[in-house]
Amino acid sequence: MSGITDIIVLIKQVPDTTSKAGLNPDGTIDRARAKRMLNPFDRYALQAALHVKKTYGGKVTALSMGPPPAVEILLEAIEHGADQGYLLSDRRLAASDTLATAYALHKCILYLGKFDLLFTGLQTTDGDTAQVGPQIAERLDLSQVTYCEGFSIQNGKLHARRIIEGGHQDVITELPALVTVANAYHTLEYKTIRGARLAQELLRDEALKNQYIHTITLDDVNADPELCGLKGSPTIVAHTDKVGQIGGQCTMHQGKSADILIKEIMDCTNIKEFAKQ
Amino acid sequence: MTEESPNQAIPINASQPIGEVLVYIEQCLGELQPVGLELLGAGRQLADKLERPLSAIVLGYNLGDIPKTIIAQGADKVYVADHPDLEQYRTLPYRRVICNWLEQMEVEPHTMLLGSTTTGRDLAPRIAAHFTTGLTADTTELDIGPYEHKGGSDPSKIGLYANCLYAIRPSFGESLKARILGPWKNPQMATTRPGVMIPLKLDWERHGEIIPIPVNLLQEDYRLVVEETFREVNKGVNLTQADVIVSGGYGLGGPDGFELLNQLAACFDNAAVGASRKVVDCGWVPYVHQVGQTGKTVRPKVYIACGISGAIQHRVGMQNSDLIIAINKDPDAPIFKFAHHGIVGDLYQVIPEMIRQLKKNSNTSSTKEVSSIV
Ligand SMILES: Cc1cc2nc3c(=O)[nH]c(=O)nc-3n(C[C@H](O)[C@H](O)[C@H](O)COP(=O)(O)OP(=O)(O)OC[C@H]3O[C@@H](n4cnc5c(N)ncnc54)[C@H](O)[C@@H]3O)c2cc1C
Repeated sequence: MSGITDIIVLIKQVPDTTSKAGLNPDGTIDRARAKRMLNPFDRYALQAALHVKKTYGGKVTALSMGPPPAVEILLEAIEHGADQGYLLSDRRLAASDTLATAYALHKCILYLGKFDLLFTGLQTTDGDTAQVGPQIAERLDLSQVTYCEGFSIQNGKLHARRIIEGGHQDVITELPALVTVANAYHTLEYKTIRGARLAQELLRDEALKNQYIHTITLDDVNADPELCGLKGSPTIVAHTDKVGQIGGQCTMHQGKSADILIKEIMDCTNIKEFAKQ
Repeated sequence: MTEESPNQAIPINASQPIGEVLVYIEQCLGELQPVGLELLGAGRQLADKLERPLSAIVLGYNLGDIPKTIIAQGADKVYVADHPDLEQYRTLPYRRVICNWLEQMEVEPHTMLLGSTTTGRDLAPRIAAHFTTGLTADTTELDIGPYEHKGGSDPSKIGLYANCLYAIRPSFGESLKARILGPWKNPQMATTRPGVMIPLKLDWERHGEIIPIPVNLLQEDYRLVVEETFREVNKGVNLTQADVIVSGGYGLGGPDGFELLNQLAACFDNAAVGASRKVVDCGWVPYVHQVGQTGKTVRPKVYIACGISGAIQHRVGMQNSDLIIAINKDPDAPIFKFAHHGIVGDLYQVIPEMIRQLKKNSNTSSTKEVSSIV
């Protein structure tokens, strides 16, 4: 018996920057037009949570914060084998920075109750801060393992390997703990047949869906709105400068034989200048 | 009597005392990490603008001459926690000692800087959440200046503020530069990318104060133990001095692939061989070659990425290269999003051809033996 009963995984829906849809010419994102996707870094966190469930037991709850469409990624988590999803959705959360986000999410986690492991992705592709995980851990006074690339559970403790400069570090921590999963961990496995079937049913049956996916507000989790959103955020983005565009600047050389491709490179770059004479 | 011009507003925070600039210094097993010294360089400028001292905080065990070195590198004061239980970095004990120390300071620091390393990014958010203060991740520029907050949903924040930390960082996949501010609460915190700021010259004549600080850990700070740390030191290969870096990734298929990269590098006057973390982790080449977030930050004139997908952690270490040429067989590889020239193809066909044309280019074929670079 591992003693693991409850696993929470935090996931976020982000604009799909790999597609050109919703990308303004100045490099900013038009969130309304952009395609949406599960934050790629969170796929590793979800895999880690599902691995715990499969190997050691326990129930996986996927928790997200965002506007109503973020229900899509909770369904996606269920397709992969998560047991239930919670979405914290509230207008008063708009423009939250990492501190305000961590405050709101830690309130949700307290609302969910007991847990053994709390997984998050390393960072998001739209914020890139890697801060929310440790900030939640501080609020909940948890032990944490960041940059985790592999782990096992032995005698009720987490044995984890984390990435550091020039190598790695092996640590052992008591549970409960927060783990931010590195993108060096295993990629998300295929959807399970059971999960995919269940998600199909949930899409058809609203009442059933509400049993698996719960949309909650700040009031439900007893969070102070003053500490959320713009009000609860100690930082603001005061100014942005455009420095380049996403995509489009790379001159592609393809579909020709190698000698022609290289000749093109020789002709349109200065690399010859650095060659030995 | 001089009349006050009506638009010469007095900053809201004009009468508040300004604290010092505090830099967290990273050391690992008695060796100072370069990012801390870089932060002292950046912190010195901020402190001079604020006309406040630059202080540093360092934790560890048997620190020896490290505090003195920190002063020689620019700090006016060094807070030192030297204790057996701090020998290795661990989140909870380190955050306890630092937060306790900041809490008893008469005036909290104005600014606190940490490196965007795996340690800094583990520790900084804990400290920021503890003090519920703002933290900007992964900055590449820092400055001090005024800020006028005009609107927003919170009227209590409106007004003119003097001496704000400008934390400037790339965002949205590096296509924008955002200036992030949080003058409402001190310390204003930021983590800063390694390899970006310039350290000061070591000056042993510099004077400073070394201040031991208390270490009062609680039982709960020992919830995590470090079993083992494997760390290679980044010395030997001069990646940062090379004009041309030929870098190899997992697409090489195996360690032998670096033989081909050596040959390509040997075509240039001043070239070095780099690598992605994945191939370093596979043991194909040693860590000294690694480019990226947990390796070296490089800025060569030419960077040739061979079989590297272009993960964000690789990108941050090489994106400021003058010219980036990527060779990858997958036309959708992320590296083509930020390379200047992309060659879609099998590197085992493309590179030999590149070598051939570079050699053809040199009029005199060099007969000198080329020693292996890896
Ligand atoms: C905390 C943390 C820190 C990290 N730090 C770093 C770091 O400092 N540096 C770093 O590099 N990574 C770092 N990483 C890892 C990073 O996320 C990627 O996993 C890594 O960069 C991928 O290496 P790669 O591009 O060599 O391999 P892959 O991502 O596997 O890419 C291989 C590429 O080769 C191409 N390819 C395959 N065969 C051929 C062929 N015959 N010809 C041409 N192309 C071919 C493929 O299309 C593919 O694009 C870090 C990760 C974490 C989580």
